Amino acid sequence: MENKIEELIEKYNAGLTDPSEVSQLEKLIEEGHVDLTKLRDLERLDNQFNAIEAPATSLTLDDKFYAMLGKEKKKAETSSFSFSMPSWDWLAPRLAFATVLVIAGFTGGYFFNGSNNSDVKLLTQQVADLKETMMLSLLEKESATDRLKAVSLSTEMDHVSTQVTAALFKTLNSDPSVNVRLAALEAITPYAKVEKVREQLVRSIAKQDSPLVQVALAELMGQIQEKKSVTEFDKILKDKNTPEDIKKRIKDNLNVLI
Amino acid sequence: MEALSDNALMMAVRDGDVGRLGLLFERYKRPLYGFFYGMNRNQELSEDLVQNTFFRILKYRHLFRGEGDFRTWMFHIARNVSHDHFRKDKLKYKESVEDWQDRLGHDDNKEGEMEAGETNSMLSLAMDRLPADKREILLLSKYQEKKYKEIGEILGCSEGAVKVKVFRALQEFKVIYQQLEKTM
Repeated sequence: MENKIEELIEKYNAGLTDPSEVSQLEKLIEEGHVDLTKLRDLERLDNQFNAIEAPATSLTLDDKFYAMLGKEKKKAETSSFSFSMPSWDWLAPRLAFATVLVIAGFTGGYFFNGSNNSDVKLLTQQVADLKETMMLSLLEKESATDRLKAVSLSTEMDHVSTQVTAALFKTLNSDPSVNVRLAALEAITPYAKVEKVREQLVRSIAKQDSPLVQVALAELMGQIQEKKSVTEFDKILKDKNTPEDIKKRIKDNLNVLI
Repeated sequence: MEALSDNALMMAVRDGDVGRLGLLFERYKRPLYGFFYGMNRNQELSEDLVQNTFFRILKYRHLFRGEGDFRTWMFHIARNVSHDHFRKDKLKYKESVEDWQDRLGHDDNKEGEMEAGETNSMLSLAMDRLPADKREILLLSKYQEKKYKEIGEILGCSEGAVKVKVFRALQEFKVIYQQLEKTM
């Protein structure tokens, strides 16, 4: 039986099967006797197709989603009991923080005892994961102080995931507090050499209505020599509502680029 | 972040911590968008469908029991969202001959891309020329990471039947791809 299956697969791979043999092959696939990966050409094509990365989504989708989530959160909050038990929303970051401290303590202990390296790595990873969760959770708080804490947490991370970067950009583009937006920009600055980050920074210029953030972005663009930002800043310079001293400061930074 | 499993996050959402959906959105917005965009090639519509999928996830969060895989549950919803959209607006849904004519009509641009020697463009073009059901099964196979049993749960058929569907779709995909290669 196995030899016959192998023969059939070989024949299929050589492109020599007739329709009845293809039907036979289908039956064997359905019954689990033939793995699709054995069919070389199909497997190669499938792998090529699967290797194509999914296209990126626009920031509009993020905006719409988080607006919807915000509404739903408010709805959930108002419909819940005003119970004296602390809510999960309130408790989660605090619990996460306490856990981070405990795990950090264990990690430190392992280092001092010269213990197994892989355990230390695992614990370090867990600390990093918890930090990230806490950061993302704090960013969703209504209090600007909490959101500032979240941004400053991201600066303590050794490796910043795409989720964290996306969250920082969302904060930079839409947070109601100027201070939080400025802190987000500062947190993003170390990664400004990465092409994708630069592109998002340029896109962010048009989304800023605060002169302080506009100037901070202009300074950063000057530092990283991002010429693509000039067009975006031109729009701000032409805007009648932009204060004259802000225009001057932006121009000073743009002169470095032109 | 994988320390927090999809199911754990969705259970938290179900139990009232709706903010956690943000993490699931960040994890899955792109695969979902890839699935929808692969089906309709319309950026704006695909993003709307991603949004609608997450809207339904929120709306029906109480139905998530955590027994199965979150991703499978999500793609089940996504598929319904897509079908409902085209059912509601049949005018926009140009399947069969019209759809094929549209797809073939875009050849000029697509061939321009091919001249640039991009295999990916040719794969995308071959994909566009597949009938919708075959495109769907290949996209599900891609974004469900070849978990045929789970795809079977989405489509309401056995694992074996899914494998046969994938086999047939890949065969047709290969034929179209080879035809395109000859025209290059």
